[in-house]
Amino acid sequence: METLTSLILIFIGAALINNFVLHYFVGICPFLGVSRRVDTAFGMGCAVTFVISISALLNWTLTYFVLRPGAPLPVWVWQLAGGDPATQIDLSVLSYIVYIFVIASSVQFVEMYVRKFFPPLYRSFGVYLPLITTNCAILFGSLEVMKHLQDPTKLWGLHEALALAAGGGIGFTIAISLMAGIREELDLADVPAPLKGAGIALIVAGIMAMGFMGFTGVEKGVAGAISTLLR
Amino acid sequence: MDNSEARRGPDSGERLRGTMGDTHPKSGYLRQAWLVILLALVYGGALAGVQSTLSGKIAENKKDETYSVIPSLVSGADEAKTVELVVEGKNGKEARVYKAIGADGSHKGWVVPAGGQGFADRIELLIGLDRSLATLTGLYVLDQKETPALGDRITEATFRDRFRGKPADRPTVMVKSEPEADNEVRALTGATISSESVSAIVNETLANLREPIRQTSQGSAPAAGDSGDTTG
Amino acid sequence: MAREDPTALERFINGVLPENPVYRQLLGMCPVLAVTSAMKPAMTMAGATAFVLICANLVISLMRKLLKPHLRILVFTLTIATFVTIADKFLAAYVYEMSKQLGPYVPLIIVNCLIISRCEICASKQSVGVAAADAVGMSLGFALALATIATVREILGAGTWFGLHVLPESWPGWGIMVLPPGAFLTLGLLLGIAEWVSRTQARTGLWRTARMLWSWRR
Repeated sequence: METLTSLILIFIGAALINNFVLHYFVGICPFLGVSRRVDTAFGMGCAVTFVISISALLNWTLTYFVLRPGAPLPVWVWQLAGGDPATQIDLSVLSYIVYIFVIASSVQFVEMYVRKFFPPLYRSFGVYLPLITTNCAILFGSLEVMKHLQDPTKLWGLHEALALAAGGGIGFTIAISLMAGIREELDLADVPAPLKGAGIALIVAGIMAMGFMGFTGVEKGVAGAISTLLR
Repeated sequence: MDNSEARRGPDSGERLRGTMGDTHPKSGYLRQAWLVILLALVYGGALAGVQSTLSGKIAENKKDETYSVIPSLVSGADEAKTVELVVEGKNGKEARVYKAIGADGSHKGWVVPAGGQGFADRIELLIGLDRSLATLTGLYVLDQKETPALGDRITEATFRDRFRGKPADRPTVMVKSEPEADNEVRALTGATISSESVSAIVNETLANLREPIRQTSQGSAPAAGDSGDTTG
Repeated sequence: MAREDPTALERFINGVLPENPVYRQLLGMCPVLAVTSAMKPAMTMAGATAFVLICANLVISLMRKLLKPHLRILVFTLTIATFVTIADKFLAAYVYEMSKQLGPYVPLIIVNCLIISRCEICASKQSVGVAAADAVGMSLGFALALATIATVREILGAGTWFGLHVLPESWPGWGIMVLPPGAFLTLGLLLGIAEWVSRTQARTGLWRTARMLWSWRR
């Protein structure tokens, strides 16, 4: 039950308390660019959630078995090649390159899949689907997972990595859909000319961030509530 | 040619053409990818060079982060003589603790890393204990993301010093007025939850690790000048 | 393009204000909001981004004749990721505290749209000198944007600039400026100001705009 509690906390933490867009400032480009209409925004959010989960899964596997200091696979390969089993092998310097490749490939696969099976969705995405590769939120998800695979006494399992990634993606979807709803109304409002577009969107985002700050400190209460519920 | 490129993301059109699955003969890929493969090897070599030159310095920086604080937590400790131990806590998880040794080789005290949930995010601490694990000798905040100007005042010496001399065998309690019992500590005004989180982390860690540390230290050979170690 | 490609000097000047990466092109927003709570991390990030941008532009420009059209994005990404890793390791080795404060935002330079777009638009087509001038100009523009936002946030939020007190101790410090909402609000308002200045300047010329601003002090 402690695992389930910690999973739920990680998920809610990534989705609401430390929202990827409004607290960590990742994924701002699509947040400002795609949030004009609620349906495109929601679609983009779902695509981002999907890609972030897949890439977190793949990157966790690669980091756990190959890239972290003290990973088992490189030592095993080195031993097979006849090397001294006691040597320390640290491939973590290749982490960023591997992560960005995995992300680019995941986006390619998602693109091919959506083009084949959901052509109208593919057309409505247009140019923004390949641009998910440069979405900071996806790389950020993988970086957070890497952060928790550094200390050998406190390694995150695949379930925790997926909870974080899915939570982050869903938090992004919530934020972008809220922003799209507000911007749809804002189109009819009398915004001063210099602030039209990105300016007013950022100010609205600031107010939303203030709102989401209300979630700070909720973790303790949620942890208590969950343990009461599950008992 | 799409002239409808938006002003933002000016390269998106060209990227679109580049990555949108134009058909290419599969055999040509390997021949055309020679540059990518060559670059991968060159860059890999460069990174390996950077890693071998700098990893020593980086590991030292990480270690220094903890070690440089030890003399301020346990008086008389020499940071170069610190011994690292791995202890299994009562919760079954392993933890790294530091035995603070003085310049003359005598055992001065212990430094225990601790961490837990604060108000906003995780708080990482270092707890200083005396040799017999009976009193707290100091507290240091390694990492925190509390509210600026309110919760982040837990890093100030005025707050951390309130923990000095408090007993380590009973939980410390945060109070808003002047402390009366010897295990009471005055909380920060306007940062009650952050203060209570710090004391909760300290209490939890000490309850988890105090006995295991004592058992480990008594089980191993006593350090030089250690004969005065009481079991109190 | 019908007109001639801009020269190196033109590209350099272009990158600083007229096509400022943050205020005009709206690229690289993520680090701009994240590290500008104080001047020191902002300038460290500006330096790291400048290093990656300049090195990547130079290397890509040297290789530009060898790039295959459908693999070029791969090459850009590989190059940028390598330089970012080098920058990250250097920061961790020589300014460890700052590196910890910047945290995951240094590796996020890899997906900074600014760098990929400069590689695509300029470095892969122009000679080394022009690409270098473009990179230096854009880096200066980026640093300028980071500096303006960080100045506003640090002075209003903590009363300091680069850690030195510039406002009296009695200044309460607008905590909100150091927190996420302050970042969004500051950038939004500064974008509005930049947009207004650019429109007025386009309409009435730079000298008239300056005179108009000066006359408002009364």
